[in-house]
Amino acid sequence: MSGRRILVAVFAVIATLQAGADESAGSNLYTVVDGYKVDPATMKGFRAWRAAACDRCHGANQEGLVGPSLINSLKVLSKEEFVKTVTEGRLDKGMVSFKTSKIVMDNLDNLYAYLKGRSDGAITRAKVEELKP
Amino acid sequence: MRVTLRYLVLPLALTAAAGVAQANSDVERLTANPKNWAMQAGDMYNQRYSKLGQINAGNVNKLQVAWTFSTGVLRGHEGSPLVIGDTMYLHSPFPNRVFAIDLNTNKIKWKYTPKQDPAVIPQMCCDTVNRGLAYAEGKVFLQQADSTLVAFDANSGKVLWSVKNGDPSVGAVNTNAPHVFKDKVITGISGGEWGVRGYVAAYNINTGDLVWKGYSTGPDDEMLIDPGTTTTWMDGRVQPVGEDSSLKTWKEDLWKIGGGTTWGWYSYDKALNLMYYGTGNPSTWNPAQRPGDNKWSMSVWARDVDTGKVKWVYQMTPYDEWDFDGINEMILADIPVKGKMTKALVHFDRNGFGYTLDRTNGALLVAEKYDPKVNWATHVDMKSGRPQVVSKYSTAQNGPDVNTKGVCPAALGSKDEQPAAYSPKTRLFYVPTNHVCMDYEPFAVEYTAGQPYVGATLSMYPPPGEKHMGNFIAWDAGTGKIVWSKPEKFSVWSGALATAGDVIFYGTLEGYLKAVDNKGNELWKFKTPSGIIGNVFTYEHKGKQYVGVFSGIGGWAGIGMAAGLEKDTDGLGAVGGYKELNQYTELGGSLTVFALGN
Repeated sequence: MSGRRILVAVFAVIATLQAGADESAGSNLYTVVDGYKVDPATMKGFRAWRAAACDRCHGANQEGLVGPSLINSLKVLSKEEFVKTVTEGRLDKGMVSFKTSKIVMDNLDNLYAYLKGRSDGAITRAKVEELKP
Repeated sequence: MRVTLRYLVLPLALTAAAGVAQANSDVERLTANPKNWAMQAGDMYNQRYSKLGQINAGNVNKLQVAWTFSTGVLRGHEGSPLVIGDTMYLHSPFPNRVFAIDLNTNKIKWKYTPKQDPAVIPQMCCDTVNRGLAYAEGKVFLQQADSTLVAFDANSGKVLWSVKNGDPSVGAVNTNAPHVFKDKVITGISGGEWGVRGYVAAYNINTGDLVWKGYSTGPDDEMLIDPGTTTTWMDGRVQPVGEDSSLKTWKEDLWKIGGGTTWGWYSYDKALNLMYYGTGNPSTWNPAQRPGDNKWSMSVWARDVDTGKVKWVYQMTPYDEWDFDGINEMILADIPVKGKMTKALVHFDRNGFGYTLDRTNGALLVAEKYDPKVNWATHVDMKSGRPQVVSKYSTAQNGPDVNTKGVCPAALGSKDEQPAAYSPKTRLFYVPTNHVCMDYEPFAVEYTAGQPYVGATLSMYPPPGEKHMGNFIAWDAGTGKIVWSKPEKFSVWSGALATAGDVIFYGTLEGYLKAVDNKGNELWKFKTPSGIIGNVFTYEHKGKQYVGVFSGIGGWAGIGMAAGLEKDTDGLGAVGGYKELNQYTELGGSLTVFALGN
């Protein structure tokens, strides 16, 4: 295999992965009914949001206070950027590093799902309830 | 005989004074001269009253801007500069810059910007505020955000000593101003939303050595409480607190992460040798996790300045369920209380009650609502000293994961840190207040060192049916009655100033500095560059009286402004009621100084 062919193959794999990720974003990331009843994983994300007191800086409805609006931020941040920001913080801007917070670290995917749902407009109010099967 | 005694006693007293009370006499001398503004409150009684009267009710409408100064820092500017002789000393929010300005030339004599780990920024609960400097004996004292306490040479700005007062890695940071009483510089700690165990600490002004440290919670010896001699108000009288008065009121060892922080304004009575201050909320905000009275959070304290030993303590809000953080200033005044001249301590608590206590022994004399909308308690039972909680508004009785609605006041209290003023001329207190209610939903939260430990979601708004969120009031502390009340659109989050000129000053969140007469009639106002959460101060230089105030929106009420409030999607949110502020003002820290026009 020449170097060039390896590169093409790698790109193809990345493209496939990205397509897969995009597909799941809409359909599998979270489930919401009536705008506020969510799947158990997303519910855990909401609980992590609350326990970590994110609302003190980002607002009770993610609208932004001292910290930016997450309704807007989640439209532009990639999942990786989100994970890095939450884990490492942005100290000079006042964002806490949640590295040592077990509930946040255990629920990064769930927290992302909850906030993405809020940002997408699919979850219509900040306080959600668990969807009864 | 009498003469002999006097001669015997005097030299002894002087000897003692030379070593111990030098700074006190220096600060006393400086504050006695109204040309200076030598302490954050102007004096040790926290009265925020000036004897200057050049600016008075008859001419205040001729006030003009004399000069302005930018601190170069955004975010909330609380506290005020100090003026000692020809020099003004200014501070800023994080990074806590310090400036010394020569009032003769308006040139900067020296400035200082500390190097602090930016990790403290996210740990500062409600904006990166700092409430100002202290001065004594040619030294300026700065309490940095990262808990470092620094002493400067007032002339050169050279750092004389610095000491670490807390552990920022667990959220123990500082916002309060240090206070100099006698030869000690006394400071507290913040971090009630991070499970920090509160304390006050006294450092030697010359060396920075720790002299004493008294915790708010825990074992008696660590609080410097003597179970037999430290007293409190119980069953209608002053009695010893008894053993383990704090430990008995906490589940297991939750007091270790139980809050009771100490970031307010302290006062000092030289004759009694007592300093007074308040302790804040118990941690977490979810009461279900910490059954018991949580002593001595939410309390008024009287400590011996030399030893830190507690003379008396009184808990205002046992078992807090609303974040009615009890740190607001204690104002000392000798006033008639129910007809009897009293050495009083007057305190406007976050919980909405105005308290008058006998400051010699902590006896409860008056406890009345200073905002008629206060609804979480019907009244304070004068025998037990306990507020009588209304079940409907009890977030503990309603339980976790239930949204308790319509509680007045909101968590930021009928008043927050913004200090009131007292005029010995009118014997009235002039109080900047919040007129805000809230919904409060507690939930279970686990403690992790260095992580937020809050456990409640809040939203705040004006009282039902009303549009204004603040009042500037005059209060009679002898009877517990509102004398007059002047509505303001937003919370009045600025420290008031009363003067011998029969003018009272305060700032507004929109950015107006206002002057009112003794009856509350507005005489003058001026729109400063940003919203005002700083405290008004006055001084005299070269025969002219000046009035000044920091503007620079931020703090808790202004947090929505502090980094660009986005569209509030649901119309609620912690600053729901305040979002309109962005139609009036923007960020920016500056000082505006006024004087009468020629």
